[in-house]
Amino acid sequence: MENLLFDIVVALTMGLVGAVVFAAIGLVSGTDETTTLAPVTLLVVLLGVPPVGVFTFWMAGAISKHMTHAIPTALLGIPGDTMAVPLLQQATVLRNLGAPHIALRKMISGGIIAAFIAVPLSVLFAVMLAPFGQSITAAAPWLFLVASLLIAYFSPGRWSSVAALFPFVLLILALQGFTGKYGVKLSVSYFLGIAIGPLIADLFSILSPMERLRMSRPGLRKFSLAPDVKGWGGYFPNPFRVLDPSQIKWTAAMAAVSSATFVFSPVAMTVILGEVVGSRVKHAYHRLTTVLSVRNGVTESTYIAEALIPLIAFGLPLSPVAAGPAAPLFNAPPRFSVDAAAGKIVNLHTMMTSWEFLAYGLLSVVLAAIVAYPFSMNYARVAAAFVSRKISHEAIIATFVGLVLVIGIWEGQLLGLLVIVTIGLVGGMLYRILGFNTGVQFMGFYMAILSVPAILKMFGL
Amino acid sequence: MTHEAATLAQVPSDARASASGLHLAEIWGDVVDIRQLGMAIVIGAVISVGTFLIAVQILGSIAPVAAIGRAYAMLAGLGGCVISGVVCARLFAPKRQVIETVADPRWRDEAMDELVKETGSVGHAADLPAVTVDEMKELGLYDTFTSYETRHAEKEA
Repeated sequence: MENLLFDIVVALTMGLVGAVVFAAIGLVSGTDETTTLAPVTLLVVLLGVPPVGVFTFWMAGAISKHMTHAIPTALLGIPGDTMAVPLLQQATVLRNLGAPHIALRKMISGGIIAAFIAVPLSVLFAVMLAPFGQSITAAAPWLFLVASLLIAYFSPGRWSSVAALFPFVLLILALQGFTGKYGVKLSVSYFLGIAIGPLIADLFSILSPMERLRMSRPGLRKFSLAPDVKGWGGYFPNPFRVLDPSQIKWTAAMAAVSSATFVFSPVAMTVILGEVVGSRVKHAYHRLTTVLSVRNGVTESTYIAEALIPLIAFGLPLSPVAAGPAAPLFNAPPRFSVDAAAGKIVNLHTMMTSWEFLAYGLLSVVLAAIVAYPFSMNYARVAAAFVSRKISHEAIIATFVGLVLVIGIWEGQLLGLLVIVTIGLVGGMLYRILGFNTGVQFMGFYMAILSVPAILKMFGL
Repeated sequence: MTHEAATLAQVPSDARASASGLHLAEIWGDVVDIRQLGMAIVIGAVISVGTFLIAVQILGSIAPVAAIGRAYAMLAGLGGCVISGVVCARLFAPKRQVIETVADPRWRDEAMDELVKETGSVGHAADLPAVTVDEMKELGLYDTFTSYETRHAEKEA
């Protein structure tokens, strides 16, 4: 009983911290999930926070960030995150019609309803898949190989990403061999290098006179900030009144469908299911608002399913979200580790029961609903104006450069730093030029540590 | 006059003048001044690595287990990152121009045209549920759509 109470207090505290911190980070447009959520969660794991605290922190943080990253998307017309890109077109039309606040409200109300549906359904699907866990773990090295190839093919780079996977894996293996000679074993540095690659590639590019020409801009970046109108009394809005009955029905139905999928990218699911619903709504205004609610709902539910199903059923990061922003829940040495070759998994999968995942998952959604949802509904405009007027991009880049240096030196002194920069430069360039995105690169890392040893063993090497 | 020109007209002249002395470039999704970015990176590096190294010295001798001491030192280092971000935000102004706008009626027309392109019509008000009609009336969009609908129908005829 005492243990349970302790767990609940830890989960509540960590969940609240996650919700507040990531609601703030979400306001800064362009901050990617993987670059922010992964390293901070990793830190929480390494500091020794109990499992339920780690899980609630991550979930509440992710859902809250999705609530607030809708603000720049709707009010400023810039995607708050890569996952907000499919919502941009509809949001822009509504902005031009003079109703950006409607776009925002429909989006995040769809998101919060979908989150409440996705948590129990994902746990249910995971429990249904769990009996196959043993055989899946045994086949993990091969599954990672197949999943990597699939995820690569469905990335923007298509076949070029599939082909680029091999030299990229070889690069990781070579770096591991090199640092190993000096007794340095790295993992966080690879994650951070991949996650922050686009920034590192851009910083190298700006030093080159050739590239600087392409990147230089004639003037300040212009935003028009749209006015906001509050449509309800009190602080807490009711999502079931923001959406009309048909929108609630579509959002719930599509959230349920997408909770069962966990290998496709959230962006792809969002686009496809949004089209399915959009083609059934006749009136243009109603279609705009319905598609926005449904799409943001699907993004949320796919995201939750992609993290929860592999975590609960297998303990292996077998989806783009699990391999990216949720990676520290699976793999955070020395505390959490995945050794598929030996069939040994030590992470949240082994430390929490399905009931705990369900309960603390719902707690995370409640925390996000209390912290980030009303905040986005009430203070969207003030927050967007503050961030765009007071927080320069120079300051954000300085913060992330500091992060790279501290994590690199912390994990592997100079070698750690060099690995982050090398992986970041190569990965970032491949992303920009080929569309070999971070999700594929994370799978490449798992291929290097899981699939390659199994393949070598098969050939008796 | 295009939108660009319309928004430029609202820009205060001092903002345009100050922009001319800068070396602007787009990095990682937003516009920065290259020189200021260089300074910001140095500040970020010095403050965060400095905090981390000092914390390692202090905590390394206090913490019972070395790994825990280093983890807390990393937390201190991340605190340093945030501090350097605050310092840089105070030193360097954003290279953005935020224009407060009430929606331009011309943008409204363009948005309507874009909607028509999708399916060939904006749809009929008769297809709408009552709550949506109320919502549109509150926004002042109901008349926009119905009048567009009639005009479009006339044009077709």
